[in-house]
Amino acid sequence: MPEAAALELDGVDIRYGSVTAVRELTLRVGRSEIVGLIGPNGAGKSTTLHAIMGLLPVHQGEIRLNGQPLRRRSAESIARAGIALVPEGRRIFGDFTVEENLRLGLAARRRAYMGDPLAPAFELFPILQEFRRRQAGVLSGGQQQQLAIGRALVSRPDILLLDEPSLGLAPLAVDGIFKAFTEIRELGTTILLIEQRAQRTVALANRTHVLVGGELRMTLGPGDAENTQKIIAAYLAT
Amino acid sequence: MRRPPGAVTELLGPALLVILVGVVGTTASASNEGYFLNALVSVAIVVAIYVFVGISGVLSFGQISFVALGAFAAGVMTVPVESKKGVLTSIFPLLRDHSIGNVPSLLLAAALGGVFAFLVGLPLMRLSGLAAGIATFAVLEITHNVLREWTKIGPGATTLALVPETTGALQATLGALVAITVAFLYQRSRRGRLLRASREDPAVARSVGVNIHLERLLAFTVSGALAGFAGGLYVHLLGSITTEQVYLELTFLTLAMLVVGGLTSLWGAVVGALAVSGLDSFLSRAESGVHVVFTFTLPQGTRLVFLAAIMALVLILRPSGLTGGRELRLRWSLRRWR
Repeated sequence: MPEAAALELDGVDIRYGSVTAVRELTLRVGRSEIVGLIGPNGAGKSTTLHAIMGLLPVHQGEIRLNGQPLRRRSAESIARAGIALVPEGRRIFGDFTVEENLRLGLAARRRAYMGDPLAPAFELFPILQEFRRRQAGVLSGGQQQQLAIGRALVSRPDILLLDEPSLGLAPLAVDGIFKAFTEIRELGTTILLIEQRAQRTVALANRTHVLVGGELRMTLGPGDAENTQKIIAAYLAT
Repeated sequence: MRRPPGAVTELLGPALLVILVGVVGTTASASNEGYFLNALVSVAIVVAIYVFVGISGVLSFGQISFVALGAFAAGVMTVPVESKKGVLTSIFPLLRDHSIGNVPSLLLAAALGGVFAFLVGLPLMRLSGLAAGIATFAVLEITHNVLREWTKIGPGATTLALVPETTGALQATLGALVAITVAFLYQRSRRGRLLRASREDPAVARSVGVNIHLERLLAFTVSGALAGFAGGLYVHLLGSITTEQVYLELTFLTLAMLVVGGLTSLWGAVVGALAVSGLDSFLSRAESGVHVVFTFTLPQGTRLVFLAAIMALVLILRPSGLTGGRELRLRWSLRRWR
């Protein structure tokens, strides 16, 4: 292999007490790739993202960022090492203004850049700049999702973890954020994307892994996007 | 960066209310003026507690430790040297032979409160929820007993008397304003926002890189410094003090003020401090007979029973306090439609 993957999971087990939620998960996300992770509810997708972020302990195996193991590091230090999470349900701070929400993301920034520190968010989502003084709580669902993604981007992460970003959004808003993922990739940021919209994810991602019952079942390529039968079969496989 | 909306009322509302109380206090009779001054010092103490408990969302029963330390430091250091030799006989010679002025004593109280809070916070700020509440209670217990038993640093279990009574209307008002301004600047600062974010959603805060331990420690230290400062104001209001006056009852009263006003806003801290302090003054007067339409006297102890019941009622009926835990927003209804 020529260089270390941007993000690597190597035989990772994650447990809640005595229950194993994710078993021997191995996957690799190369630089500037989009890798999808799909699967039924309770398959362990969010659990995996939380473990990468350091919010859950890894029971066994290893997670590596640019070849460096992340074991035992706190969530805030992992954020500062260049991984950003856009959590499920957006979880923006409704009482804060749009700008205040975005500025929170700067806490994980590794160095100062020239110009407006919020530029990475504003360039991708101009509406955030227009609404920067509004309370975040009054934004529409799609705008809040843009804000959540923008908050992650202002730290200029190497890797963006997205947990069901299209959940509960209107179809037009979904189109908007899927378009944004392509742009984010073009800017050189690596994406690990959890989604329920399986077909769209398979079409977009370089590879899409299907996680069922905490185990990796199948890996699909963009060519499989039209093969609905194969995707359904992957979900139902036991 | 332009100030976000509401910043003006967020500071001016509490500040004007405090100034109003100060001005009304000067027109009151000498016997009633004390109640107004007491209310203003309560504002300073409650705002100090708010800076940590309100903004971080972590319960602390220990902030009165810093008030106690500030009160005794400012008190011991301002008793005139010639009086000290008579009343504080076993105290360290360094403390016995020196006295400082009023303002330096308040600064000393703030500095000691801040340093003490920082040292205590280093290990304690890793805790949250119940564990934090109980551990900070332990700090109160330790501080109380050290102050009560160690006669090398203070009067011990006896009363510290002959402290100059310099907290008049002007100084009480200014003191409360200082506390409010510091709290406002902190909560509007970047660090304050990080801590508020960690209160609302710790997991998200950590995953955007917020070091919660560090942010809490900073708030605890600022809170400790303000509490020490407020303790200085308090001792200069009373003129004499015992360790019992800065212990359990004050802890309960000030937490009740914060809860009744609304835990999560500066406006709530100020409104709660003034409202409960006013009620407290009325009830303590009523315990020795008061004339409202007709004269009546409440049985001894009614005051605390009543205040405790009110605190419980507010928690049941309006858990976010009188202000709803929100800052004052005058044009709130207008902004909604824009």
